Amino acid sequence: MANRGADLLIVGLNHRSAPVAVRELLAFSNGTLEAALRRLVDAETVREGAILSTCNRVEVVACVTDLNAAGEKIKTFLAEEQQLDRDFFEKYLYTYTGKDAVSHLFRVAASLDSLVVGEPQILGQVKAAYTTSATLGTLGMVLHRCFHKTFAVAKRVRSETGVAAKAVSVSSAAVDLARSIFDRLEDKTALIVGAGEMGEQAVRHLQSNGIGTVLVANRTLHRAVELARQCNGTVVPFEQLHKHVHLADVVIGSAGGNSHVIGLAIVEEALHERKRRPMFFIDLGVPRNFDPRLNDLENVFLYDIDDLEKVVEDNKDERGRAAMKAEVIVAEEVESVCQWLADMAATPTIVALREKAEEIRKREVEKTLASLTDLSPHTQKAIEALSTAITNKLLHPPIAYLKSTSRNSDMQAGFDAATVRQIFGLSDENE
Amino acid sequence: MEILLLQAALLFYLLSTAAFMLPLLSSRVFPRALAPTLLFAAFVSHVGAIAARSLAAGYIAVIDSYEALSFFACLTAGVCLLAQVRSPVAILGAVVSPLGFVLTLGAFVFYTHARDLPPILHSAWLPVHVTLAFLGNAVFGVAFSASLVYLVQEKQLKRKKGRVPFRRLPSLETLDNLNYRVLAWGFALLTLGILSGAVWAEYVWGHFWIWEPRPVLSLVTWVLYALLLHYRSAGWRGRRAATLTIVCFAVLVGSFLSVKLLFPGRHGGEFG
Repeated sequence: MANRGADLLIVGLNHRSAPVAVRELLAFSNGTLEAALRRLVDAETVREGAILSTCNRVEVVACVTDLNAAGEKIKTFLAEEQQLDRDFFEKYLYTYTGKDAVSHLFRVAASLDSLVVGEPQILGQVKAAYTTSATLGTLGMVLHRCFHKTFAVAKRVRSETGVAAKAVSVSSAAVDLARSIFDRLEDKTALIVGAGEMGEQAVRHLQSNGIGTVLVANRTLHRAVELARQCNGTVVPFEQLHKHVHLADVVIGSAGGNSHVIGLAIVEEALHERKRRPMFFIDLGVPRNFDPRLNDLENVFLYDIDDLEKVVEDNKDERGRAAMKAEVIVAEEVESVCQWLADMAATPTIVALREKAEEIRKREVEKTLASLTDLSPHTQKAIEALSTAITNKLLHPPIAYLKSTSRNSDMQAGFDAATVRQIFGLSDENE
Repeated sequence: MEILLLQAALLFYLLSTAAFMLPLLSSRVFPRALAPTLLFAAFVSHVGAIAARSLAAGYIAVIDSYEALSFFACLTAGVCLLAQVRSPVAILGAVVSPLGFVLTLGAFVFYTHARDLPPILHSAWLPVHVTLAFLGNAVFGVAFSASLVYLVQEKQLKRKKGRVPFRRLPSLETLDNLNYRVLAWGFALLTLGILSGAVWAEYVWGHFWIWEPRPVLSLVTWVLYALLLHYRSAGWRGRRAATLTIVCFAVLVGSFLSVKLLFPGRHGGEFG
């Protein structure tokens, strides 16, 4: 039977459930979103609604009265809005209701459902979706509350688990390591040897993190000139590389060829030249560009591609562990929201039940008193008290039951409330 | 009042030790300000304890073993907090907090009631000399902490593995620069401490220098730190400098304790 209380419903698709060819067709552009939202929300089936549309997901979040009818309505709505055949996208959709919907919303905002777990943009996108629908007035008490809780949960996950704290690419791991060695990058120099793609990426990453100067050396000069122009660097003649190594705090190797481009002797001399200030060698070449023994030199740190991959792996593991903790937090918070929703469902029923009983009691007492005219005020009072006691005693079990099911914080409470309403012949709260 | 404050300081040292250690051992995120705030609380109560005793006694209470250890611990915590103002090196508290705890606990072991000031120490030189000397020690304590953290961080970077939470340590360069700056300060203070002692000795004993364990060991420490500074300015840095800083501090603490415990003389034993 239909749930008479408020229930949550999410219908949507994401990067896991649907290929990009489908996602791009269902995505709402900024201009169309408002008008669509107005068409989605009505007084009957979809009472409150918001739409989250990003490149990785399209989700309709709604507070509804009848889950089945609302689900149908949302699917038809999507088909009409995007002028698509329902059969084309329906198989990619997922549907969450009640507790699962709350949990899904929390996980999305906390970036646990993202392609790259922990990426920070999604929370901003959820906030934007909330703001849009809030300004349009398509949100009611339930979704307002749910979204606010969602933001609080996302914040809690971020601050308590560090789910987004670690670098998960080779380039960003290299930058992280550079930051562990150097105080600041602004006054540091990076030297890139070779013009391989990995090296180029690493240099760009260092630059976007503020590295001061970039030097480029490559066997073929024109490639060096090109790379130097792209990253605003200076070309160093490859044949005189050894004379320039001491200038570099970070040396990135991504050259081809079989022999070590930079060996022990060059670095020892460079260290002497630069008064033993630390040097960080990032060897991205296969075969390796730098002599592996460099790492044994004092104040020299050498990471080859395997070492960096290992750091990335560790960070991913760490993220995985953090994500597990985040799931626990989400589960806790889901409980508290569902408790509130259940209370919402139960409270009006209890009030209605009390009102109806009081109404019956009053009517019957008045009838009785009207027929018995010769009663003393004392007896009249006794009859009043008797009637009140009987109704209260009779109402106690159903009210206690409603309160206890709502305390179990189950969406079931809404269902129970509806049953009690039917048994006692109470009018529907929504009418 | 004094004892109560000292106990509070001891408790706060213990709490801040725990607060500094926990984030290193678990990957949970803790409020960043928690541990430094606890260390600050320890410092404030410790200052209170020393002030209470000094006010009651009527002179700066740094003449016997208890007072000396307590003063040392308190100043080290203070210098550590000061260092955090300019560099992101709050983590030094992870070394300074347990150090403060152990020193304060040691102070309790030697606890004595305040006595009348021995006549020989009735001098304006007393606060000048002890403050300079102990401030120097405290600054070296912070240099020691920075070196210890440096070695941990360096080892992790060299070995290319290490527990992920440990990667939140300050950068090597930050620690190394701090170490250098702090050493220079410590050396200046130690030098002034010894000079003020010499001037004072000339007043009371008639000689600038007495051949007794305390001044002699102070001189040894001074020479060691002078060498360290010399090498640093000649380009030593990193692990070598950190190791030598640790050795120097070990000698400093060793000589401090051995004078107190093994070779009491006119200076540094019981003046009585």
